[in-house]
Amino acid sequence: MSKSRPLYGPLQCDATGRRHLLVLQTGTAEAVTEPAVADQFLGDGVGPVEIWAVDAHAPRTEAANPTPPGEQELARRGFTCVTAMFDALGARLQTETMGLRLYAAGDEAFLWDVFGVASAAGLGRQEVRLSHVGEPARRVYCIHCATMNEGVRTDLVVCRGCGLRLSVRDHFSRRLSAFMGVHADAETPGSLPEPQALSS
Amino acid sequence: MIHDKPIAVRVRETALLSPTLKRVWLEAADGGLLPPASPGAHVLVRLKGGERQWRNAYSLVSPPGTRSVYEIIVRRVAASRGGSHHVHDQIQVGDAIEVAAPANLFPIVVSARKHLLIGGGVGVTPLLSFLPELRRMGARFEMHQIAAEAEAAVFEALLAPHGGTEVQVHAGRGGLDLDGLMAGQPLGTHLYVCGPTPLIDAAARAAAAAGWPAGALHRESFGGAAGGAPFVATLARSRLEIRVGADESLLEALEAAGVEAAHLCRGGACGQCATVVLDGVPDHHDHVLTPDEKASNSVMMTCVSRAKTPRLVLDL
Repeated sequence: MSKSRPLYGPLQCDATGRRHLLVLQTGTAEAVTEPAVADQFLGDGVGPVEIWAVDAHAPRTEAANPTPPGEQELARRGFTCVTAMFDALGARLQTETMGLRLYAAGDEAFLWDVFGVASAAGLGRQEVRLSHVGEPARRVYCIHCATMNEGVRTDLVVCRGCGLRLSVRDHFSRRLSAFMGVHADAETPGSLPEPQALSS
Repeated sequence: MIHDKPIAVRVRETALLSPTLKRVWLEAADGGLLPPASPGAHVLVRLKGGERQWRNAYSLVSPPGTRSVYEIIVRRVAASRGGSHHVHDQIQVGDAIEVAAPANLFPIVVSARKHLLIGGGVGVTPLLSFLPELRRMGARFEMHQIAAEAEAAVFEALLAPHGGTEVQVHAGRGGLDLDGLMAGQPLGTHLYVCGPTPLIDAAARAAAAAGWPAGALHRESFGGAAGGAPFVATLARSRLEIRVGADESLLEALEAAGVEAAHLCRGGACGQCATVVLDGVPDHHDHVLTPDEKASNSVMMTCVSRAKTPRLVLDL
């Protein structure tokens, strides 16, 4: 396995943090169910927990119920699209202070987009936890025309920007949140292996 | 390292900043340029007094990159191994001494969004070299210097050239609310603390209580090598018996006996002098080993750690 291929852990509370913000991608709000989160994140001294999810059907409530004094706060917030959530996340992180832990669950492209927003706000690797859920689909960056190819599931893909057949590498760029795609039959046009399904 | 040989320097000037703080300017003995140093760097100064030799680490307070002179500030420590007394009582302008090329175990984290500096007493020294660099970078920073009441004016004067609203001197520890300070810092803040061990520990506790990740905390302790009960170190490989006196460190005793012992910071911070312990119980004073490693009694830092048993057997 390539060294740049990121490793992911389960969605697990980092008890050294004082406030916890979970951001979930569409489809994972169900995978990361509230009881599971409650198990992980609710407890003595864990501090307030917020769950943000991209979920068009989610009730757009800031805090489901007022928290009784002495009890841990658990707030949910729904967003209609990823862009709206990232905008809100960027704005929120501007006003945050040290002690926050950010958690993301979703596919790889989502995870590293979250990481990008977090890094831009000054959060370091020790303060962000990424949890990969869902299909092993990759975002593939064509190194020839710079097109981002979303949702790639095989190790050979035709670039939708320039039409070249790309070999999908394990080389992952954290800056671009994408795997590198390289012209697969540059030396001998037409000489290609059978495409294989990608594994996570 | 590129510069692995000692550098011959000469004392150009000295100045007493307070009864116990002395500033020393060192220039290259050959009149040439000294190796440049980055903010937070220190040099090991070799001092010779009669039979005794010391190699003490001092932070450079000269502006980073300065090559004409190395400036250090030395505190006279009441109960010490004697090096600081030598600097205060013996060192004269024109004296020839040796220093090792600068090393840096306390660098500025350039990716930080904000730099929070806390100095205690003479722990101001590495931070003095941070300030011009942070200003040059246009970085966001805040500095709190804690000084004994009687010395507040001395530290005010030291920091005045770098002054501004970001730099505050507090007379006594009580003047600084560490918990409040840590709780209100923006994301991406890095903390640099240099001073006596109790201050460093208090700052680390306050940071942990506010939920700071360990990687955002940077410490430089000068509480380094203190004396203690004498003991004997038996070197298993070279079959030497080293008597470690009450006022010298194990590393110094090894060096006095002619043993080439690894070292870099001489303050229990870098791990360079890690030595395997074959028998006996070390008395650990370093910041490198984990609690488990310390409890294993199988490795020790010779620069600051001593012995709980009358004898240690080392794999040297």
